[in-house]
Amino acid sequence: MTSNSDPNSLKGKSVLVTGATGEIGQAIVAACLKSGASVFANARDEDKLAPLLDSWAGKVVPLIYDVTDEKAVKEQFRQIQKMQMQSDIGPLHGLVNNAGVMFEAPITVSSMDKLKEQLNINFLAPYQHMQLACRLMARQRKGSIVNVLSQVGELGSSGMSAYASSKAALKGATVSLAKELAPVGIRVNGVAPGFIDTAMTRHYDQERRDIVLQRIVMKRAGTPADVAKAVSFLLSNQSAYTTGHILPVDGAFCP
Amino acid sequence: MDNNAKIKQVFCHALGIQPEQVTDDLTYNTIEQWDSTAHMILVAELEDSFDVMLDTDDIIDMSTVGKAKEILAKYDVQF
Repeated sequence: MTSNSDPNSLKGKSVLVTGATGEIGQAIVAACLKSGASVFANARDEDKLAPLLDSWAGKVVPLIYDVTDEKAVKEQFRQIQKMQMQSDIGPLHGLVNNAGVMFEAPITVSSMDKLKEQLNINFLAPYQHMQLACRLMARQRKGSIVNVLSQVGELGSSGMSAYASSKAALKGATVSLAKELAPVGIRVNGVAPGFIDTAMTRHYDQERRDIVLQRIVMKRAGTPADVAKAVSFLLSNQSAYTTGHILPVDGAFCP
Repeated sequence: MDNNAKIKQVFCHALGIQPEQVTDDLTYNTIEQWDSTAHMILVAELEDSFDVMLDTDDIIDMSTVGKAKEILAKYDVQF
C-alpha cells in the first residue's frame, strides 16, 4: 500500500520500462507497481510479455516494439503522450532504460557489426528514449530517468570491450543529461549492476562463476530484485536531491 | 481561442515574456528568456497545446515564432 505522502510512492504517475521481459526488467516492473505507478512495459516479443501481464498486480500497458526502431519508438511515445493523461495512468514520471544485450568476445574476433549492435541497443536506443521522454516530463517540470548501466562499463573487463564501450557511452550521456535537464526538474541517474544472477550470466560454468564470486566482497551474486530496489529508489522522491549519480549494485566488486 | 492566440500564449508562458514581444521575427537565443532550457519547455508546451509530437529535425529548425508556425502547419495546425 502506498500513499502520496510516502516518499517511495509513485502513485498517480507512470513509468516506462524497456526490456520488461528480462529478469531484471520483470523485477523493475514489479517494484514500480508496488510503488503504485502505472507501467508502460516494453518488449519485442508479445508472446513473452503476455503471460507476465497476468502475473503483475497493477496497471500495466504493454508496448510491443523494437527499441532500435526509431520510427516505432517515436510512435510509441506518441501513444504515451495520448495515454498519460488518462486518470488511471498518470503523467510520465519515469523512464528506465533497461533493455540491453551483452556481447563477450576478444577484440580480434569482435566484428564491427557486433560492435554496432551493442551501440545501437545499449546506447543509441536509450538516448532516443531519453530525448523523447524528457519532452513529456518537461511539461510536468518533473521526472526521473534511470539508465541500467554496468560495472563492466565502469571498470572494464577483458573480452567485453564492445559491451563496456556501449555502457560507458550511456554513462556519459547520463551524467551530462543530469546537468542539462536539472533546470527543468528532471533527474538522470544510473545503476551499475555487477554480477547478477540472470540468463546473461547463467551460462558461466562453476569454475568461472567461483572466480567472479571471489572478487565480490559480499561473496554472492546479485539478484534482479537487488537491481530493481536501486532503480525504484532513484525513481522515487527518496532520491529527490540525487542526480548524475551512478549507483553500484555489485556487492562491492573488486576487479 | 484561435491558433494564433494559442501559440502566442504558449510562447508567453514557456518563455515568461509579454504578448507584445511575441512576433513572427522573435528569434531563439536573441533574448535571454529564450535559451536552450526554455526551448525544451517551449517544445513540450507546443506539443501539449497542439497535440502533436514534433520530429527532432523540426525542433532544430524552430528558430523563430514564424518558423514554429510553419512547422506546426506540417502537422495540420492552421494559422
